[in-house]
Amino acid sequence: MDLQLILTALNSSKSAYASFSLDAIVFFDKYNFNPGTAKGRQNLDDAEARFTCQLYNKALLSVFKGRLGDVKDKDTAVERCECYIQEQPDQTECRLIVKIICRHGVIKTYKLTYESVEVMHALFNKNAAKNTWTIGASTLRSFAEYFGANTEQLDISTENGRATFTSYTEKVMNGRDVLKQPLQTSITIDNLDFEDFTVEEQLHVGISVKDFKAIVTHAETLKTSITAFYSFPTRPMQLNYHEHGMQCEFTLMTIGDYRGGSVTPAPAAVQQVSAAPVEKPLSRQFTAQASSITTLQKSTTMPPPSEPASRSFTREPQSQRTQRPSPPPPKPSLGTESLFMPADEDEDRIWGEKNYDDEQDTLGWDASANNAPGLNVTRRESESSSRLPPYRSWHEDLNIRIAPTQRISDVKALFD
Amino acid sequence: MTSTNEHSTPLFSAVSGSTRQLFQLLRCINFVSKAQVRITKEGLRFTAEESQVMQGAVVLDKALFTAYSYSPPAFNEDEDEEDAESPPFQISLSSLLETLQIFGINDVKDRWSNRETGYNGLNGLTARGGPAGVFENRILGMNGICRLSYAAVGEPLRIILEETGVTTTCELVTYEPEYQEDIPFQKDAIAQKIIMRASWLDDAINELSSTSPARLTLVASPIAPYFTLSSSGPLGSATIEFSKDPQLLETFQVPRRTINTYKYSLIRGASRAMALATKVSIRSDEQGVLSLQFMIEVDGGGISFVDFRFVPFIPEDGEGDEESEVGEAEGFE
Repeated sequence: MDLQLILTALNSSKSAYASFSLDAIVFFDKYNFNPGTAKGRQNLDDAEARFTCQLYNKALLSVFKGRLGDVKDKDTAVERCECYIQEQPDQTECRLIVKIICRHGVIKTYKLTYESVEVMHALFNKNAAKNTWTIGASTLRSFAEYFGANTEQLDISTENGRATFTSYTEKVMNGRDVLKQPLQTSITIDNLDFEDFTVEEQLHVGISVKDFKAIVTHAETLKTSITAFYSFPTRPMQLNYHEHGMQCEFTLMTIGDYRGGSVTPAPAAVQQVSAAPVEKPLSRQFTAQASSITTLQKSTTMPPPSEPASRSFTREPQSQRTQRPSPPPPKPSLGTESLFMPADEDEDRIWGEKNYDDEQDTLGWDASANNAPGLNVTRRESESSSRLPPYRSWHEDLNIRIAPTQRISDVKALFD
Repeated sequence: MTSTNEHSTPLFSAVSGSTRQLFQLLRCINFVSKAQVRITKEGLRFTAEESQVMQGAVVLDKALFTAYSYSPPAFNEDEDEEDAESPPFQISLSSLLETLQIFGINDVKDRWSNRETGYNGLNGLTARGGPAGVFENRILGMNGICRLSYAAVGEPLRIILEETGVTTTCELVTYEPEYQEDIPFQKDAIAQKIIMRASWLDDAINELSSTSPARLTLVASPIAPYFTLSSSGPLGSATIEFSKDPQLLETFQVPRRTINTYKYSLIRGASRAMALATKVSIRSDEQGVLSLQFMIEVDGGGISFVDFRFVPFIPEDGEGDEESEVGEAEGFE
């Protein structure tokens, strides 16, 4: 059993999830986990034991932020950092104690309050993610520097054995005022620059530039290679890398229009199907542990876009393409206010899932931290029946999935 | 008692060759808008006070000026003052600072380098653009002259700044002083005295800001932990501990354990002095009044001192405290 300290974070729109697994032996100088002292977990044997808690990111960050500036030759440079969990009933409980020991015997001690809760982890089905590439982080970083500072979205596409990373901002108008100027930067990387490249032709997926840059910047500091896994737009993408006993995984929701081959209806039809109200009885949704919500798209009232071909990221058979050549997807000269999405679709619609018939990977939550790749330390709760792959539970209702964006009420109902 | 005679010698006048020094020192106590000025034979003493619980004082020593003359009024003999001192007055500190930096004192060095790069940009292709700064006023030691004068009691404080032929004259209205007394600090009953590098204290205080605290607790003890600063906020608490290492605490005179709590935001008010100073002497008396004395080496030589005094919170239940956030901070742990 390998011991790990796992730090995870989920953004407020639940579209991006980060996980850092720090290996007990490689990453830490000293690591001591004694689950016997943990309260309320007596019924579990040692292998099952784990400790989870949640604390404010802001509080934790305030301890470590700016330490990069503490250069080594400074008089009170940091020598080591010690962390403890304090949960003995005879002391003040629920404190994460961080001790930073500096030279000359300066000791900085932080006691941060935490909440002792079960932590959820994003599920990602690597088997369904057929598209994958691996590239040196420094290479990617040097390219990512060219992305405009104010661009928001990043489109990753492949064509003729080349990968194109396009960062762009859509034009945002409020009356006559231009709130955001459209901007687009494309970088094309030859497949040979990748260590590994297995991606379907003509596939476009979109993620946030900010997330991407943050990931690449961190990976570059570790001088490692980043590997991406994804299936198709509106499905999560996973970026991961590992170095020095640190396993970093980021699960990001992607945007873009997905149109499969001949089996998939034409885009307009997809839009209409998804736009139709699909109500499901709530009771059905919460039967399984990994159950989720399928009906997010019901809020859509927008008609489908009138020019889907020019706006969408296409993934079509080559034969269709010859008949209706679609321009390279991000093209500011289109002049539409929104390049990739109908302009005023609400958030739910953008992230909402469509009803695909096939079983695909999707962003789900697992409180047990067991099934997410690389999170093998801990086991499922003993009452949990399945030790099967995470999406086994979805067989109970193929339509039951969790979308990355959920209503608060739904989340509460799920996990309370 | 204001008898203005333009032709008689002013009550006080002084000339300084470096406004930057004056500016740097006075900026240390810029936590309130008004400062009280007392003129003595030895120098100008500026004090600023916040709610009678925090006080900052700077002495602009005679040595900082190239010329310094103080002629106490003749009628002073009637009064039974120990020294020949004119009554103190208040001026707007922010206006004074504004005046002193009217020629951009704030970043003389930056301006200097900027100007140089500017020249390079202009004469980009000509090589003789290089040593353009030889006749710069700074090199010649003529970078701005500042004259201070105070004609008589009740008159405005007049500041004349000259730089490269440009003269600016400012008159700052003087006010009746609002307070007379300094915060009492019993120098004969000192409970603790610690001297350390000011930047370390500054680091520690900044470090604690992460908990967004209302109060700062200083604990000094003859046994370990020797000197700690701690604070707590809604997200947790933080403690900075200093060992007795003489490299760290140059002087450590703590006969017995002392615990005092001060308002954090007030201590932060001294942060400019903390960042500027080389050393700090942290003293507290039997009543818990904290004295922070900063030794500042202004550029151009010389050592000046900036003094701060803080009144502590009443220990324990804080019965007499009027601070509203006391209760929250107290209830945390």
